[in-house]
Amino acid sequence: MLVTQATLDTFPKLLLEHARLRGGKPAMREKDYGIWLSWTWAEAAENIRALACGLAAMGVTRDDRIAIIGDNRPQLYWSMTAAQALGAVPVPLYQDSVAAEMAFVLDHAEVRFAVAEDQEQVDKLLEIRDRCPKLEQIVYDDARGMRHYTQNFLQSYASVQDKGRAFDKENPGFYEAEIAKGKGSDVSIFCYTSGTTGNPKGVVLTFDNILITARNAAEFEELNEGEDMLAYLPMAWVGDHIFSYAQSYTTGFCVSCPESGATVMQDLRELGPTYFFAPPRIFENILTTVMIRMEDASALKRRMFHYFMSVARRVGIAMLEKRPVGPLDRLLYWLGDILVYGPLKNTLGFSRVRLAYTAGEAIGPDIFDFFRAIGVNLKQLYGSTEASVFITIQPDGEIRADTVGRPAPQVELRIDDSGEVYFNGPGVFQEYYKNAEATRETKTEDGWVKTGDAGFIDDEGHLRIIDRAKDVGKLNDGSLFAPKFIENKLKFFPNVREAVAFGHERDHVTAFINIDLQAMGSWAERNNVSYGSYQELAANPQVYEIIKGHVEQVNRDLSQESRLSGSQIHRFLILHKELDADDGEITRTRKVRRNIVIERYAPLVEALYSGQNSCYIETELTFEDGRKGVLKADIRIEDAETYSAQSPQAQAAE
Amino acid sequence: MPQRRIAIWILAVPLVIAGLGLIFQGLAGAYPALYFTWGFFFEAMIGGLLQGVMYSLVALGFVLIFKASGIFNFAQGSLVLFAALTMVGFIEFGLHWILAAAITVAIMIAVAIAIERVVLRPMVNQAPIILFMATIGIFYFLDGFGQLIWGSDIKILNIGIPTDPQFFLEGVFEGGILINSFDMVAAAVGAVLVAVLAVFFHKTRIGRALRAVADDHQAALSVGIPLKTIWAIVWSVAGIVALVAGIMWGGKLGVQFSLALIAFKALPVLILGGFTSIPGAIVGGLIIGAGEQVAEVFLGPIIGGAIQDWFAYMLAMVFLLFRPQGLFGEKIIERV
Amino acid sequence: MEGTASEAQTVGPASASGAAARVSSEVLLSVENISLAFGGVKAISDVSFDIRKGEIRAIIGPNGAGKTSMLNVINGFYHPQQGVITYKGETRKQMRPHRAAKQGIARTFQNVALFRGMTTLDNIMTGRLLKMRSNILLQALYWGPNQREEIEHREFCERIIDFLEIQSIRKTQVGRLPYGLQKRVELARALAMEPELLLLDEPMAGMNVEEKEDMCRFVLDVNDEFGTTIALIEHDMGVVMDISDRVVVLDHGAKLADGTPDEIRNNQEVIDAYLGVAH
Repeated sequence: MLVTQATLDTFPKLLLEHARLRGGKPAMREKDYGIWLSWTWAEAAENIRALACGLAAMGVTRDDRIAIIGDNRPQLYWSMTAAQALGAVPVPLYQDSVAAEMAFVLDHAEVRFAVAEDQEQVDKLLEIRDRCPKLEQIVYDDARGMRHYTQNFLQSYASVQDKGRAFDKENPGFYEAEIAKGKGSDVSIFCYTSGTTGNPKGVVLTFDNILITARNAAEFEELNEGEDMLAYLPMAWVGDHIFSYAQSYTTGFCVSCPESGATVMQDLRELGPTYFFAPPRIFENILTTVMIRMEDASALKRRMFHYFMSVARRVGIAMLEKRPVGPLDRLLYWLGDILVYGPLKNTLGFSRVRLAYTAGEAIGPDIFDFFRAIGVNLKQLYGSTEASVFITIQPDGEIRADTVGRPAPQVELRIDDSGEVYFNGPGVFQEYYKNAEATRETKTEDGWVKTGDAGFIDDEGHLRIIDRAKDVGKLNDGSLFAPKFIENKLKFFPNVREAVAFGHERDHVTAFINIDLQAMGSWAERNNVSYGSYQELAANPQVYEIIKGHVEQVNRDLSQESRLSGSQIHRFLILHKELDADDGEITRTRKVRRNIVIERYAPLVEALYSGQNSCYIETELTFEDGRKGVLKADIRIEDAETYSAQSPQAQAAE
Repeated sequence: MPQRRIAIWILAVPLVIAGLGLIFQGLAGAYPALYFTWGFFFEAMIGGLLQGVMYSLVALGFVLIFKASGIFNFAQGSLVLFAALTMVGFIEFGLHWILAAAITVAIMIAVAIAIERVVLRPMVNQAPIILFMATIGIFYFLDGFGQLIWGSDIKILNIGIPTDPQFFLEGVFEGGILINSFDMVAAAVGAVLVAVLAVFFHKTRIGRALRAVADDHQAALSVGIPLKTIWAIVWSVAGIVALVAGIMWGGKLGVQFSLALIAFKALPVLILGGFTSIPGAIVGGLIIGAGEQVAEVFLGPIIGGAIQDWFAYMLAMVFLLFRPQGLFGEKIIERV
Repeated sequence: MEGTASEAQTVGPASASGAAARVSSEVLLSVENISLAFGGVKAISDVSFDIRKGEIRAIIGPNGAGKTSMLNVINGFYHPQQGVITYKGETRKQMRPHRAAKQGIARTFQNVALFRGMTTLDNIMTGRLLKMRSNILLQALYWGPNQREEIEHREFCERIIDFLEIQSIRKTQVGRLPYGLQKRVELARALAMEPELLLLDEPMAGMNVEEKEDMCRFVLDVNDEFGTTIALIEHDMGVVMDISDRVVVLDHGAKLADGTPDEIRNNQEVIDAYLGVAH
């Protein structure tokens, strides 16, 4: 049952409503000390009330910004609501960002208070406290390791709540009055986007932005209060904010927090959520793990798995979409469900999934079809922080791997002459905080927002995304160069973890490749190839052969499409290290920072175009604790076959 | 999921038995030399299962020691013989059999403690193969020592268990099913023994301590598990199990040197059931007992008899090929 | 990529300033004039030192210096021919492993001695065996109260699992874990014994930089949060100098030096022993 009354226009108001309507139903769960603990809506409301009053006692007032830093924890989600109850704005930060990254956001958002999960986060805050003079007080939840932290600006979550309960007694009616002051047009949250270049930008979203968008999508997908959601993606990411916070408030379903980042897959299996989101790479990792495990299984099991997977590939998707299927296939699929798909979904935690989303980047068609074939209703959506997530969603029955769906309810789309996608709708953000210039660049006067993506609307009315608009370049012969498109094609091979293609204003296309250590390592183990490190495996000639095969397969595919056949990869190399967020080469959400890669590996890029067969490079790298080291390597460069656009026959490269 | 496994077993066993019956019925059609009626089939099957319980009794002793110390106790057979000899000896002194059994239990415990003191204690942290060799020594010692004290004549052990065959289900099958009452008593004793052991090892923490000791002596010592006490307990229990097996086998075959050799029949049982599993020892025994009996009766006429002599070992070999850890054994996966 | 954990700094005020309050002057364990020989080979000759309550005490020395033998003497695996061991005021000629464990000495091993066939949780639970009230024979007789006790112990183990951040391998058979995690499980099992004295035999051997840093943090946290006295053998000098309060140096079975990390760092004999210079 959806709560749609216009008066319930903020999270705190919704909270009170849920506590009244379904006070005894679970609102949040968390696994701690090996046991799933749960809190009802009434308990959550009490917790939030105490915390909000405690924050008020500490001096939090309307329009203050409160940073929220840590893994997904009920206490941190409650901190958001508590802040919003007081009219303050929660600013969630990525929990794995280094102190310097945090300093920028804290300073930019003029954060006065911070709620941190544990010692790790508090230490980072202490480290940058000098650079953030506005930061006054820090509240921490988990006190472990902090017995000797005597600073008076540090307070435990529990002690703040205790103060809050006392404050509440002394100031009856205060809490209700503060909540009543809030309205839909108030700022609800600052979501800092990681951004591929420059400093992060603070996207300002109102309650209306988030609640209307969340509600529309929930109605579109018929979500109800019985859903189960696992909150495991960073709280600072707008997706988590919508799926495991906003939609929980709009529909009243229960959100569960995993025990730790490392246990997500086990917790997923135990919980068996009905509503699930994961970026493509997670589905990819799951599939890789399944495939590796099947390689190690007994011959009988393996044969059974492959047989029934071929059945699933043939009819599974039709079964999922309730299209007609022959009785024999129906029987086989039913058998397969008992013997293979059911147990598989059970081990993965997908037994109860009604709706699974993926977004963020293109998903490999094989991966997408695999999950749909075994009966997981996996769909794609297209969204952005600036849209409060939903721009397009794939409606049931119209699901394909290469589109991102139709416009979400109340959202309008427009494609400009250069192919860039624009949208408008209820979720459109207010502004980038203290960055009028960036706001002007992105958002027009009448509310249309540039996505920065190039795409087109196909004959069925679905949006298809090709690449980042600014990344679509031209080869010297004038033909189109869409690097992301090429990179994704490469990344669809399980052995390829990451790829970076070059070609803008060049004669032909070349690429850097990162191998997938899990997949290639398993291959090495099976084939008795010994290796001591990533670097060693990456330089192995047999590995080069395998990757070369993949590159040439991509070239064959590209040669089929007339507009892209010029983008075939002529030369490639396998990088000696994984692109790493700590080195700034990719974002925390694993998007390649192209310019930084080009800059760091300039000699390699030049070597790709100079005809050399190898290249020496020294790379500086940063360890997790911030120390630096130097990695030296001689990297081999390999030519790949290219194919003429008309016939599939090979022609010599260069 | 042990429950699921148990459920599968309960469902599978009648199916397998019925399937075997159908196969033999078919064979009987093809080979006139083969005599088949369902009554006869069930009789052979039940007789075999009861015989299997007897095998399990011996196998249990092996499992206990293997679980606790990771060694294959070659001396288990001689423990059986020694226990039986001792008990018969006391009965011959004119003691009531219950009193004789009680004294024998005490002696078996003393033997266990002595083994721990004299043989095992100096060998803490030695390789399993060395401990195995030590048990061979124990085998010969006990074998000789027992016969030295009690003599080497074949003795009759009779504690009043009825041995006459009885007919069952005469209304269902023509002529009914003939079952030896001694075997039934043995089966009942075996069941009680297993239940007691199961409680001892699963409902008490000894089970965990046992596994710890078997896994790594040094680590077990460092967490304060009294290695010596555990070993003494386990060998004592194994001695008592040996006594029960000795009473049953001695009652059936007479107490003689060949009792020590039934240990070899326990080997295929262990391979089938897994060296570390008490239920495995039972199921393994039942399969082998029933298998060889049925094979002897129904395949014997076709391929020439004496199947009982090699059937168990054949079955064990097949298992070694396909499931070396046994039906219930733990698959030890080592990371290199 | 060569790096040592010596640069590992613990952020926050916990590490150095707390030392004075942490370490008392009370001696928890002392060994006096210990000599140990196997056949004719002398492993330890006439070594004496003490370990104070609450301190982190490092035992260092080149290979074959007798460090591990010393730990084995302390927890009763080896019985010295000469000398006495005084633990909690009680003087003995030798320890016994069972008694050592009962009186609060827990240890880990150089080559990881875990119950490889058991899960992480079961391994840690074995550390509780001695804490279980009913003795091992009585347990056979009643199991009603045991059930409740089992739950209490499970809770305790879960706290350790949380403390050492090994939730994700709770149900994994330890034989399948990578080396670094096995070391952590071994520490967890030792902690489950609620030891007063924790003996760590090269807790960081064979670990990468990151694992070493984690282990350092855990050792410091254990010492700080639980007040556990720790004696550790370690080869990584950076680690030793960073985390220990006092260091004893052994060489060829004899004591070479004893003192604070600073004193040891500047001790000429120690420097020579490590560099192999003959004076």
